[in-house]
Amino acid sequence: MSERRPKVVGFCCERHGLDAAVLAARSGRCYDASVRIVKVPCSGRVDQTHILQALEDGADAVFVLGCLEKNCHYDTGSIEGRKRVEYVRSTLADLGIEKERVEMFNASSTMAWKFPEIVTRMAEVAKRLGPIAKGGGDR
Amino acid sequence: MKARVQVVACRCCTEMPKLLDMGRVMQAASERELVVSSMLVDRVCDGKNIKQVAAEAREREVDRALVLACQKKDVNPALLASYVKAGVNESLVEYVDLRDEVVLPHLGDPERAQAKAETKAVAGLERLLMLQPLERSTEDMRTTNVVVLGGGASGRRAAEAAAAQGAHTVIIEKSGKAYKAPGVIMPNSTLVGAKGYGGNFVLTIRAGEKTEQLECAAVVVATGGGWADLKGPLAKACKSAVTLYRLQEMLDTGAAPKGPVVIVDTPDPAGKSMAVQDFAWDDALDLAMRAKKTAPLEEVYIVFQEMRAFGLSELRYKEAAELGVRFIRYERTAGPKIDPKEPTRMTVKDLSQADVLSVSIGTLAFAAIPANRDNQGIADALRIPMSPEGGVRRGSIQRWPVSTPRPGVFVCGSAMFPKGRDMAEAEGEAAGLMAGRFAMQGVIEYGGVVAEVDQDKCSACLTCVRTCPYEAPFIGAAGKAEIRAQACQGCGMCAGVCPSKAIELRNFTDDQIAQETRTMLGGDF
Repeated sequence: MSERRPKVVGFCCERHGLDAAVLAARSGRCYDASVRIVKVPCSGRVDQTHILQALEDGADAVFVLGCLEKNCHYDTGSIEGRKRVEYVRSTLADLGIEKERVEMFNASSTMAWKFPEIVTRMAEVAKRLGPIAKGGGDR
Repeated sequence: MKARVQVVACRCCTEMPKLLDMGRVMQAASERELVVSSMLVDRVCDGKNIKQVAAEAREREVDRALVLACQKKDVNPALLASYVKAGVNESLVEYVDLRDEVVLPHLGDPERAQAKAETKAVAGLERLLMLQPLERSTEDMRTTNVVVLGGGASGRRAAEAAAAQGAHTVIIEKSGKAYKAPGVIMPNSTLVGAKGYGGNFVLTIRAGEKTEQLECAAVVVATGGGWADLKGPLAKACKSAVTLYRLQEMLDTGAAPKGPVVIVDTPDPAGKSMAVQDFAWDDALDLAMRAKKTAPLEEVYIVFQEMRAFGLSELRYKEAAELGVRFIRYERTAGPKIDPKEPTRMTVKDLSQADVLSVSIGTLAFAAIPANRDNQGIADALRIPMSPEGGVRRGSIQRWPVSTPRPGVFVCGSAMFPKGRDMAEAEGEAAGLMAGRFAMQGVIEYGGVVAEVDQDKCSACLTCVRTCPYEAPFIGAAGKAEIRAQACQGCGMCAGVCPSKAIELRNFTDDQIAQETRTMLGGDF
């Protein structure tokens, strides 16, 4: 097998987040295939456990993509989402895991360039940091 | 589980030449024995193909379907409709967007694209099997009332537009002015409270001394801008300064303003907020021209940082300049100054000439319009958010430029931020149309993807009540949280925030999200 491919999970809100990804695709932008989009109704739906579970299941990096904070479809959803992500980041720091692995982004549905940028950045983080070192035996 | 699944893939969306092998994708998705039918059709949006799919679904007694195509909103809605006709619950049709998430972005990498498509199809199938059938319910609206808060230019236009849709309109006007508008006008009244949700609001209105309850289906906030005040160093230095409205009154009564007329944008030029808006500019230009026409021999100045004469107002700007109104543009760092000892003279550095000019003042007026102070009370009553400037905040601009985040509540005109009359009227018409249509639906449709509380786990901590922007969760008679399904918009914020994990959003449950993530991570691409 060739070199290990990074695994990136992206929780994208159904509104602006996913629209930004779709617009990127339709405007002919290619991005790394390692991203796994998981659709959620709103970035506020994302819960700490979803992110941590994804990391446990083998993701090298996780991002959450929501609407712009002042223009969220559900008013305060992306602000709530950011709170959760920040909480997970502080938890990761306590656990000795690089907090760069988890990131929150905001995009508007018209930002075609944004999604490929995010994927490139997170894939780069995943490649650089590699898999999360697991202490205490194999799972 | 005894599900009978149909897998349908669309060639038009997915089979780019030499990129995906749809046969293998279909095979990956059809490995489970629950899949009783799998079809690869040319175009899933095509009527003929939809007929074939529906016939097959009926024959095999399918009760769940997986569609491998585009986004749900891009696939012909007739497909979903024919599934519903064939007895499939609408929430048990799962769409996997292979076109935008696999085909288009990974054109250069067929091998990984193939693996990704197969994994996505499997993840979609697993998600489909975990979905619950959902029903939608309806509640009748009790009235067709549309309440318009404010009887100004935008409010009256909103009432006209709503009435044209067949709704009964009620204008709540703070002042005692009698306007001409369709429906009922309640003068001297204000909104003090509101209960309910879009479609069935109960408003508390204070009319004079009395307090009344008023049922309505939709609300349009058209409170307009506030009244200008005279706060700032310029107004302090020149005691005789007036607001633009006062200047208008002076001109209306036929009294010629004393000496040269100077209209400055704001009494606080060095202040942080630029409260000077186009509404004021249109009026300022009009009044400057009127002043010039009343007393052609006196000078008229407009001193400004930024002239916002939008659209056809540009013609007024030109006309004013041709009449002889002088425009002086300044920069905030070198704003106009008045020495309190000599309040009839203003010094200002002209940005275009870089000269310091000395302007003699006869009448000084300010064009700034602050936000309406009533907005706060209305926003509190209706539970809608405000902008930092004190206006009513609208929802997502691309989707709803005249709606608030709360369904059934619309906003227009200067209630959001000061704007020109034309713009305010256009927004009023839009908001009235939206409100009228909303009210004339007659029924509130609710249910589907909404949140649910597991009352055994709920610790009544009120976190969901505080987080929800729509007031859907409340503490019920049992002392536990409950969700008002009519108000729930299905965002799932409460489910994410609940510290006891007592709330689940239907069909986006923790298990479903975790399972989808796990399956997607299982693929090697």
